[in-house]
Amino acid sequence: MAKIDEVKAMVEAGKTKLVPTLVQEALDEGSAAKDILQGMVDSMGIVGDKFSTGEIFVPEMLMAAKAMAKGVDVLKPLMSGDSSNSLGTCIIGTVAGDLHDIGKNLVSMMIESAGFTMVDLGVDVPAERWIEAIKENPNVTLVACSGLLTTTMPALKEAVQTIKGSGLTGFKVIVGGAPVTQEFANEIGADGFAPDAGSAAVKAVELVKA
Amino acid sequence: MLTKRQNLIETMKGGSPDRFVNQFEFMNVIHEAYLSTMCMPGQTVVDGWGITFSWPEGQLGAFPLHDEKHKVLKDITEWKKYVKAPKIPASDEFWAPAIAHANSVDRKEEYVAAVIAPGIFEMTHHLMGVEDALMAMYEEPEAMKELIDYLTQYELDVAKILVEKIHPDCIFHHDDWGSQKNSFVSPEMFDEFLVPAYKKIYGFYKANGVELIVHHNDAYSANLIPAMIEVGIDIWQGVMTTNNTPELIKKYGPQITFMGELDSGVIDFPGWTVENCAKHVRKACETCGKLFFVPNLTQGMNISSFPGVYDCVSKEIDRMSKEMF
Repeated sequence: MAKIDEVKAMVEAGKTKLVPTLVQEALDEGSAAKDILQGMVDSMGIVGDKFSTGEIFVPEMLMAAKAMAKGVDVLKPLMSGDSSNSLGTCIIGTVAGDLHDIGKNLVSMMIESAGFTMVDLGVDVPAERWIEAIKENPNVTLVACSGLLTTTMPALKEAVQTIKGSGLTGFKVIVGGAPVTQEFANEIGADGFAPDAGSAAVKAVELVKA
Repeated sequence: MLTKRQNLIETMKGGSPDRFVNQFEFMNVIHEAYLSTMCMPGQTVVDGWGITFSWPEGQLGAFPLHDEKHKVLKDITEWKKYVKAPKIPASDEFWAPAIAHANSVDRKEEYVAAVIAPGIFEMTHHLMGVEDALMAMYEEPEAMKELIDYLTQYELDVAKILVEKIHPDCIFHHDDWGSQKNSFVSPEMFDEFLVPAYKKIYGFYKANGVELIVHHNDAYSANLIPAMIEVGIDIWQGVMTTNNTPELIKKYGPQITFMGELDSGVIDFPGWTVENCAKHVRKACETCGKLFFVPNLTQGMNISSFPGVYDCVSKEIDRMSKEMF
């Protein structure tokens, strides 16, 4: 098996201790950093699909994301200044009043593994804080707003409409969370919706490349 | 007419109930015996384990905080340094109201129920955050098992005093094990980490006069049912529609009873209506049937988030009883 394929397999298997060494070995064999990174992104796509279909569970997804992060750490010094693989910055958080963060954190890991630079605003983010974050960060291409509760759906609507009405441009807004549907996303003016972390990454890429 | 208790027993054994068991009617909860710290709307409180809970005003519940400042367990390999179980109150003064309440219950009519929340899995992630807890199962399984053993022993210590003081014949135990779509962990991982703990806890209760174990878990967990049966759960409360309850009743009915099917998220919301309650209750009763099933909002207590919903659902269940029995 080519070393880069071993990297891919070990990312998918969530082998956090093995991946950094394998990434280094792949580099030593002459593989380009961007190709190794793309291999890991592809693996995380497979992980996302398996999560969406229920074949794997949350710990396996977390371990795969952690394994990839360890591999990216090895590649980072070689890729500074190379933005060819970056899909831009994604601002993510849960909307005002919502303290649930596991879904948001999983989505963040998956979107990051698709090639975005993540800025995580955490939980209970007021509408105006989203605007500040978009202004504070360079190359924001995506804003991901999460709301898990029926009671925070109005806050999700307020967040999306505040962001969309701010006059700021150059990014898309994606929403998600247990009570959120495609119809609700359309109703509140979001650009995209995803029902789970795996499909969020796919949708994120689709939105910014559109 | 059967008593509430008799009617539940008939439902659970596949006998001849004379009406639907109506939500939590069979359970007389001794709230005075609840040992965890309550966090009310608008409050932020720290419980006996040092876990900080916040309940934003106008929201549905309290949530543990896990930023660096608030996380109790910062390194699973050093759990003994961070995790200290709170002292369990034992004084006569503390227990007097609970004993008086328990003694006032007609046990032929209702079960005297003690509530335990959070459960073992929830405790692990309340202490360290859910991502750390789930990854610890892979990265530091021995330390994780030690922590679970410690939490289990605390629950057993609580169990001993509950049995001694109020002689519960029902335990209502919370531990959410999944999202709407899947369990958090695989059945194999569940068997490895949580089944041994729950066998000890529920085994202790069963060996000490508790007839009924009701476990709250408002999530998808159809894949965990063999384990639920193995640990001694009699009723799975909070079963959501995503589990395909009618199929589960057919498959597992005689071994476990399913209580729920009325997903709180689509019934108990700010703009709730009587018509919507009636629609969901009718569908639940007609599709799940009379045996091994208790129609119930999936929320983990005899309440609703929005005033009136619980009572409305109860009335609609009575209406379906008149129609179907």
